[in-house]
Amino acid sequence: MYIIVQDNHCTMQTKILLDEEQMPKRWYNVQADLPTPLDPPLHPATHEPVGPDDLKAIFPMELIRQEVTTDRYIDIPAEVQDVLRLWRPSPLYRAFRLEKLLKTPAKIYYKWEGVSPAGSHKTNTSVPQAYYNMKAGIERIATETGAGQWGSALAFATMLYDLECTVYMVRSSYTQKPYRKSMMQVWGAECIPSPSTKTKSGAAVLEKDPETPGALGIAISEAVEDAATHDNTNYALGSVLNHVCLHQTIIGQECREQLAMVDDYPDVVIGCVGGGSNFGGIGFPFAGDKMTGKHKDVDIIGVEPASCPTLTKGAYMYDFGDVAGLTPMLKMFTLGHDFVPPSIHAGGLRYHGDSPIVSRLVHDGVMRAISCHQSEAFEAGQIFSRTEGIIVAPETSHAVRCAIDEALKCKKTGEEKTILFNCSGHGNFDMSAYDAYYAGKLADYEYPDELIKEAIGRIPKIQ
Amino acid sequence: MKRIGFIVNPVAGMGGSVGLKGTDGNVGEARRRGAVPHAGERAQRTLEQLKTSKDLCFLTCAGSMGESALTASGLENYRVVYTSGNETSAADTRAAAQVFRKNGVDLILFCGGDGTARDIFSVAGRDIPMLGIPAGVKMYSGVFAVNPAAAAELIAGLDKAALRDSEVMDVDEEAYRAGTLDTRLFGIARTPVIRGMVAVSKQVYEQPDEERTKGEIAQFMQEVMLPGALYIIGAGTTTEAIVRYLGHQKTLLGVDVLKNGRLVAADADEQTLLRLTEKEKDVRIIISPIGAQGFILGRGNQQISPAVVRRAGIRHVIVVATPHKLQDIHELLVDSGDPALDREFGDSIQVICGYRIAQRKKVRH
Repeated sequence: MYIIVQDNHCTMQTKILLDEEQMPKRWYNVQADLPTPLDPPLHPATHEPVGPDDLKAIFPMELIRQEVTTDRYIDIPAEVQDVLRLWRPSPLYRAFRLEKLLKTPAKIYYKWEGVSPAGSHKTNTSVPQAYYNMKAGIERIATETGAGQWGSALAFATMLYDLECTVYMVRSSYTQKPYRKSMMQVWGAECIPSPSTKTKSGAAVLEKDPETPGALGIAISEAVEDAATHDNTNYALGSVLNHVCLHQTIIGQECREQLAMVDDYPDVVIGCVGGGSNFGGIGFPFAGDKMTGKHKDVDIIGVEPASCPTLTKGAYMYDFGDVAGLTPMLKMFTLGHDFVPPSIHAGGLRYHGDSPIVSRLVHDGVMRAISCHQSEAFEAGQIFSRTEGIIVAPETSHAVRCAIDEALKCKKTGEEKTILFNCSGHGNFDMSAYDAYYAGKLADYEYPDELIKEAIGRIPKIQ
Repeated sequence: MKRIGFIVNPVAGMGGSVGLKGTDGNVGEARRRGAVPHAGERAQRTLEQLKTSKDLCFLTCAGSMGESALTASGLENYRVVYTSGNETSAADTRAAAQVFRKNGVDLILFCGGDGTARDIFSVAGRDIPMLGIPAGVKMYSGVFAVNPAAAAELIAGLDKAALRDSEVMDVDEEAYRAGTLDTRLFGIARTPVIRGMVAVSKQVYEQPDEERTKGEIAQFMQEVMLPGALYIIGAGTTTEAIVRYLGHQKTLLGVDVLKNGRLVAADADEQTLLRLTEKEKDVRIIISPIGAQGFILGRGNQQISPAVVRRAGIRHVIVVATPHKLQDIHELLVDSGDPALDREFGDSIQVICGYRIAQRKKVRH
């Protein structure tokens, strides 16, 4: 344990802080350390690998380059670093109070990403994405948001670079989470409930089902269509894609530095998984250490909701990123692009697919995945708030659950493992979810994978 | 103006306090043992909360069968439409319900137990919604409000309330006194439910749309039903939706059997099920929780006996239910009559509640 002697008494160090000049100047690209290249994205119509030209209509060239490059490091532009310094480097905490409550010999550290203006890790990528679009002369960005975390993060970033921003927000979240919408308004973005009549794909869904509550896959279709049909407009995605996960690697890199300051290195690294960017963000630098043989034993665990268990129950195959089939097909773990996950409170984890890199690393056994029910996650979130104080987002509570379970395993075995998890965002706008938890009204949704697997031949093929 | 048929079974619940496990045909014995009627008091607790509701008009029965409770509660907007003899009976309940029906009421509010619910349902059927103020010894039916105050809230907000299916159970009181709980599904009534935020499978809807979810469940079941497998399908409206989706008519209160999309047997009893499954390699059971307590085996689906379940194997029991139903049931109950089989269900079970989605529910046995 790292101890500071101060005024003749010992104080345990709770926060491990980096100076601003110690903030990483480069993003780490885990693609450089993969034994073989990733399977390429395929064109939705021709099923041929997509080239940069196919993506030019919706992404700026620099992000397309970052999507496919195998360079190990990519410099973070100085103008982006200036913005990131508003909240970065973010603190790494030692969860002494949680350890004490659990009576575990394990050391628990958490990386606190809720210090960003939008309250989550999402700004780590919204800022560079807005920056590169601004540099490419783009005037407006269209995107989708599920729970509102990404929409508000992009609203913040586009404001900084004087871009317009249109956010298609899944209709059920739009009505359930009014304050996320208000944040976007403060930062000057336009927020539209999806499906909407503004796009052909939205109108088609509404015509079939006027009562539809919407889904992330539908909102993606709308944002992509909006970007593809307006010359001055590009598209931005808050997770899944390689360049998004790349921007998040600043998290894991900082963690490694901060742990080194207290002479430590994690045995277990944990993140919750929806599209995979916060998990990849904390996990990829350690996955790199693992693949290059520096730390062969580090256990990197992604935690997903039992209701949308993409990595644990999905199939590893090519699938679309959206409902309408407008995006390139990605090789990833998927439950099928037509799968609409149930309304759980961790809205950010409701995505049918997953980051192709996370999928590949899980498939290859470099990282692994588990799932948990939402009431188990909220229970962990409550334990965390009552020991460490922070009320975490429902998404984040999945990572907390796993960290607690790993620490309890150590209690049984007596192992003094070092556990690190990504505390990706606060839950201050999710209090209605906590209310439902206390009222005993949280249903434990799960994916009936056995029934589906048995009948897989009879279920419409993903194509 | 809402017209409410209001009826009290004055002797409901009397058998309970004196250990008679029910009052049917035993009022005299209950009185002899010192039981005092309390149904009227419970009804009063509901009515007192309705004093401020101006748009309610009650049709009721004379004396202890309704009128007394109304006057004691200070309600004046009522009309007596039925008068019973000195000692009230089940026949009076049915006769009063008949008069309500003729007069055209929007809902029948009754105070009693399972027996009263059964008598009223036998007249009202699915045409007239019903709601029970709980006062009986046994309340296995789903038509009861949680307590008298909850009943008042539902009546006061009837304009905004939606209707949902709830089972009316038939308990054999003779057998029950002898120690056997023989509960059968008597019918499926319509009961008001407060429109609130109900989490329905994929999303949270403003209003409960139970039919939509039943359709989703049916669509999913159709997708996962395997060719060559024999499907035993239990009672209820959720399972009814599945069979209807497959293009057949379902025995609402009974058990039907399907194979390769064809109806093999309708309203099958245990013997038929055993005979049909004898040579089958792959048998599956699709059931839905029955009654207010959420029984998945042992109540209302007795044809699906332990022997039948063993033919299929516990792994092949598929439980289906709408989220509307599940939100009121904290744990499901299994009481097949074979404790060893019940234990095989473990601590929790997967309940299919929508298209490609399930809930994990605790199981008690």
